[in-house]
Amino acid sequence: MNSETFSVQEDSNPTPRQEQPGEKNPPPGLSDPEQWVNVHGDYLFKYALMRLRDPAKAEDAVQETFLAALKGGKTFAGRSAEKSWLVGILKNKIFDYYRKASRETSFTDLDFYADEESDRFVADGLGRGGWIHELGPAEWASNPGSGLDNELFWKTFHHCAGKLPKNVSAVFCLREMDGVDSKVICAQLGISESNLWVMLHRARMALRRCLEINWFGKP
Amino acid sequence: MIWLTKTLHELSPNCREAVRLQSDALDRPLTRLQRIGLRIHLALCVWCSRYGKQITFLRQSAHDHPDELVAPVQQNLSAEARARIKRKLHAENK
Repeated sequence: MNSETFSVQEDSNPTPRQEQPGEKNPPPGLSDPEQWVNVHGDYLFKYALMRLRDPAKAEDAVQETFLAALKGGKTFAGRSAEKSWLVGILKNKIFDYYRKASRETSFTDLDFYADEESDRFVADGLGRGGWIHELGPAEWASNPGSGLDNELFWKTFHHCAGKLPKNVSAVFCLREMDGVDSKVICAQLGISESNLWVMLHRARMALRRCLEINWFGKP
Repeated sequence: MIWLTKTLHELSPNCREAVRLQSDALDRPLTRLQRIGLRIHLALCVWCSRYGKQITFLRQSAHDHPDELVAPVQQNLSAEARARIKRKLHAENK
């Protein structure tokens, strides 16, 4: 299979190629599908688990990804290209899962932190809708980006994202991590744009607050 | 007169509204009035200005670091699932 991926040898020697059927060693860069599982299995599983929050579903998504990849039958010159190709397939599988789930139960989760939001702002009187003094956003480090190569920052991020309700976290992943267009998310998940905006708003608010307390606020 | 009240209100959002508008601005274009009102508010309010910068920072960092986001996940693909997937691939690859 995939004989077209063999590079043409610049060999002046006119002897015909000696390929055995079922050859054990694939050419460099063309990794054996079963090797995929060894090389990329854990990464894809973690990627799916973070988004689906269910090990059995994550395993299924990984399996479907590899099977679809096998049918796609592409080959790559390097592991990083292979990885991003597989991640691309996995993203679609996860999106499919969300879409199916949204048909069974409503995807919108508006109760989430409805109270928390009210708790941050003055409820009535002259300063209505203003930040309650102690709860106003604090100044983060002058260069917050300097934490981005710190493993602990990402642990904190992960911990904070894990506290979001499942569906809120799902739309946050799609929109902020994967950069999927709002309209596409709404069409696929069957939610209105205004519901999506509310969910994203609350996700950002909760995540911002959690990181401020657990990362930026720490001395 | 209702339109006047509405216009004046859009031109002077409170913090709760300014925060929401800044989130919305990441997903949709704001109306002209909303943009002007928000700009006026942000010129006067250090908290809301910080808020906007911080949620933009969250978006940027989440988007630019897919591998770092995945790294803290402790669990790996189980040995059983690994074996099962390999068997499936093997069967399909004949």
